[in-house]
Amino acid sequence: MPSNKLHQAKVLLHRPAGRGYYRLVLLAPGLAAAAAPGHFVMLRVSANLDPLLARPFGISSVLSKRSIELYYRVAGRGTTLLTTVDPGQTLDLLGPLGNGFPVPDKAATPLLVAGGSGFPPLLYFAARYGKQARLFVGSRDKECLPPAAVMKDLRSRTKAVHYATEDGSRGTCGFVTDSLAAYLVSPMGGEKPVIYACGPHAMLASVSRLAEDHSIPCYVSMEERMACGLGVCMGCSVSMKAGGYKRVCKEGPVFDSREIAWGRVPLRGGR
Amino acid sequence: MPAVISFLRSYLLTFGLFAMAMKMKIHPDLSVNFAGIKLKNPVLTASGTFGYGEEFADIIDLNKLGGIIVKGISLKPIKGNPPPRIWETPSGMLNAIGLENPGVDVFLRDKLPFLRNYDTAVLVNIFGYSLEEYVGVAERLDGVPGVAGLEVNISCPNVKAGGIVFGTDLKAAFDLLSAVRKATRMPVIAKLSPNVTDITAFAKVARDAGCDGLSLINTLLGMAIDIRSRTPRLANRTGGLSGPAIRPVAVRMVWQAAQAVDLPIIGMGGIMTHEDALEFILAGASAVAVGTANFVNPRATLDIIAGMETFLTQEGIGSVKELVGQVSVA
Repeated sequence: MPSNKLHQAKVLLHRPAGRGYYRLVLLAPGLAAAAAPGHFVMLRVSANLDPLLARPFGISSVLSKRSIELYYRVAGRGTTLLTTVDPGQTLDLLGPLGNGFPVPDKAATPLLVAGGSGFPPLLYFAARYGKQARLFVGSRDKECLPPAAVMKDLRSRTKAVHYATEDGSRGTCGFVTDSLAAYLVSPMGGEKPVIYACGPHAMLASVSRLAEDHSIPCYVSMEERMACGLGVCMGCSVSMKAGGYKRVCKEGPVFDSREIAWGRVPLRGGR
Repeated sequence: MPAVISFLRSYLLTFGLFAMAMKMKIHPDLSVNFAGIKLKNPVLTASGTFGYGEEFADIIDLNKLGGIIVKGISLKPIKGNPPPRIWETPSGMLNAIGLENPGVDVFLRDKLPFLRNYDTAVLVNIFGYSLEEYVGVAERLDGVPGVAGLEVNISCPNVKAGGIVFGTDLKAAFDLLSAVRKATRMPVIAKLSPNVTDITAFAKVARDAGCDGLSLINTLLGMAIDIRSRTPRLANRTGGLSGPAIRPVAVRMVWQAAQAVDLPIIGMGGIMTHEDALEFILAGASAVAVGTANFVNPRATLDIIAGMETFLTQEGIGSVKELVGQVSVA
């Protein structure tokens, strides 16, 4: 169950994971016990006032029910400062927050679609429900894929991994949505696919369109800038087809992709 | 013999001071009476940073708060602005939420009953897109049990037709606040915009219109630009700046307003700690509101209350009221 609990989390492990990512393990027993795939946390990267706000991170794993694992890529001032945190330090941590991925039906084949740095919640998902899952992972080139250790983990926890790189250095040449589209044209015999996607908005919009074309259920984990993670700042709202907005932190981050008014979602960055 | 007397004297002196300190520890009085509203301490939550209390009830004991100023309520539901709605800035943030809220009817039906379970003062922040809408909300809330007073937002920078239009025009502000004053028997607190040249002129207008108190400051109008896409960071183009970055501006305006009028003031703008809160009180605020800090540290309000109590004890100050407006400017 998500909860608004505030934790003083001790840093157990913090080191570069390769390909520009860091792996951070935080001791937070109460949080770890309540977490589920798709949940996120708000982490304050320092006690200073600049940068001011906590950062949202998707949980990538729960280790021995007492600690959580996060992967992050150094992308700005907050994550740059975070790299200087040493094991033994404590950080303010809020969570687990939001609504996670729906538990897949036993007969279903989860298609995990990861773009950019969107793999962490899907890594957690794969650890829980990966046996029947196929992973579709995409990036600009093979050096921008998730860290090697993560890929190894994902390969061992899923039925198959479908790679796509824009320069063709690994797997299909093109976007992750191209390899997904190729699969959807003729799914393996009898598979009933359900999509679980996390990545840049542009990718999620394309995945959502594919799901609709093939009448497949599709759940997307949305990323939006947020100040509080609690549902009060109203900063992380996304446009809904039915009109109005929903908060990524409270009603999300996982949404049924059909709910979202993709035409009104700001597209940040590439795929 | 003199050595014994000297020893006894210093012993008694030390013991006496200790006893006095103990007495203070039991007694530092944080309560204030703000415009007729009894607050158990001077720390409130600023509108728009605390929702309607529910989200924080799991984290902190709402009973410990001096009061809760709820997110702005209008006559009809408001959908708010398109995203992106927020952008972080040095020691602060810009927001352009657009006063998204469920409307006064849903507030009364679904939100207020929850707040009635707590022993804390509930102030309702109200706004509208016309004078009639402000009056309409004020009338609907008049005499409603569980509502201690109204904070009238004449200062939101993020809605085109309402808010700041009233907050930056003296005549419009006077007409609006006078109309709201007539529409309710409850304490009326005017929330002023800092986006004016002379804050004291608006403080006087609020007084002349019959308001019981002032809230200041609302956010400062700001803008941030993405230099690569050459577009504003916020879909609304501009937004309201909040957080510690604006605190010196807010302290200055509270001080100026306190010099100009006799109305009690809720001071706010970037308060993160009890030291920050005490700055506002010394500048002339009778109470303070904690805003953006709630996003950063959901326990900020309680930390501030505890810190204030410790400070009063250490300084031997019996009541927080003794500090209001006590900045020395000789």
